[in-house]
Amino acid sequence: MNELSRAQIRDLMAQVLKNQDKELPADDAAQLREIGFRSLDFSELALRVEDETGEELNFDAPGLRRIATVGDVLDFLVELQQQ
Amino acid sequence: MTVATPRPPVAYPEPAGVDNRLVVGGAALTWRTLPTPALPDPAAVLARSAAHALAAARQHAVHGTELLLSTASRVDEAMRAELQDAGFTVTVLDDEGGHPSAPARPRAAEPGRLWLLTSGSTGRPKRVGHTLDTLTTVRADQPDRTWLCPYAPGTYAWWQVVTLSLTQPGQHLVVVEPDELDDWPAVAAAHGVDAASGTPTFWRRTLYRDAAALARVPLRQITLGGEPVDQAILDQLREVFPAARLSWIYASSEVGASIVVHDGRAGFPVDWLDREAPGRPTLSVRDDELVVTSPYHGAGLAGPVRTGDRVQVVDDRVLITGRLDSDEINVGGSKVSAGVVRGVLTGHPAVAWARVTGRRAPVLGRMVVAEVVLARVAEASDGDAHPVDRPAASPPDEAALVRWCADRLPEHAVPRRIRVLTEIPVKETLKSDV
Repeated sequence: MNELSRAQIRDLMAQVLKNQDKELPADDAAQLREIGFRSLDFSELALRVEDETGEELNFDAPGLRRIATVGDVLDFLVELQQQ
Repeated sequence: MTVATPRPPVAYPEPAGVDNRLVVGGAALTWRTLPTPALPDPAAVLARSAAHALAAARQHAVHGTELLLSTASRVDEAMRAELQDAGFTVTVLDDEGGHPSAPARPRAAEPGRLWLLTSGSTGRPKRVGHTLDTLTTVRADQPDRTWLCPYAPGTYAWWQVVTLSLTQPGQHLVVVEPDELDDWPAVAAAHGVDAASGTPTFWRRTLYRDAAALARVPLRQITLGGEPVDQAILDQLREVFPAARLSWIYASSEVGASIVVHDGRAGFPVDWLDREAPGRPTLSVRDDELVVTSPYHGAGLAGPVRTGDRVQVVDDRVLITGRLDSDEINVGGSKVSAGVVRGVLTGHPAVAWARVTGRRAPVLGRMVVAEVVLARVAEASDGDAHPVDRPAASPPDEAALVRWCADRLPEHAVPRRIRVLTEIPVKETLKSDV
């Protein structure tokens, strides 16, 4: 199992934003809406995680939840890898 | 135990093109001097080489025996059994002659019948019935040409080139075997090829491998077909051959050749839709699908035929973007045409080829992703590089290609992951999986 750490996922998230000339704040409590991180960006990040680990994420497993902050995104993807 | 049917008496007059030149496997022949094998009737012939396939076609033209022609590699064990069940003697044709396997259920032959196996882009190949006459779509007198035939024997595109040469004097053929395909420009230049027909993938691959070698082929007619034709490939070919006639053809085993466009632009004029004329196909659009009513249809396919090809009207042109079942990508409820995205990517000066697909993703269901092959940087450094060779700038990275798309496409249609491949993948049908 080739799992990415929270910090590694954070780097990938920064890359997604950087490609759009946006910056990822250091604060995990930063609101996604304010930094302009949207559904398409979230999906891209998930694909990047898959490409890094070579494993498919099971998107159907976890229930719906509210993803509003940078921390929510990172927690969710860390958790998805463990499904 | 199999029965080798003796050669039946000549039933048809020699075709008008019988003295046209054929270059195959390096040997110069004519249709008349091509050795013709004795074939069972009905026969499913699996040709080992291009020469054997031409021989089977000539045999059919002269004797009218029922024939399904293909290459051994396109017919698997299950398909062989299916053909034997359908009454065909399956015959592998090689230098030693025919090697027949008897049909499971022998039946009487249907004189003059030709069968095509569709390319199988919709799943399993299926048989479509034609005759030499319904496969012959070029009937007006043509200027003398020496045609390159790069297609797999027995496909609709192969029969188009072959029937042209069989039925029209002055239409010569230079046939390349699959193992010669990468070096076809050298073969073509050596034999004076001035007309060539190929898929966009075939042309892209040729431009990518060696545009300078291509430029040495004295082409006066360039034809594209078999896959969606985008503006970028037409423009690149126009750059190399400014004086050639540049045509694209929409044709399929089911509806025959239905659209022929010579103006060097992708798509066809919107005012061709729903125009009825005797002896000509009628083109319509239903729910984004191209519908064709064609006089060149296969057996049992009279009337409007849903082609399974997706179309999109952009300004005054109707663009054929790809297969309906694979072209449409649903990104969070927004529909994206893979063909349109592919067109944007191949429009980038550094992109030689692109494949666009949907990939499973959270939240949105699917996301647009792509694979590309970058154009080779010009090797010449003397400032005399060929026009299609690219300037020796650093190649674009994923982010640069994503930005190129973001400037030209709605947000949900932008491929977010773009993988760079080192070689253009190509199937035996000369199509990519696009």
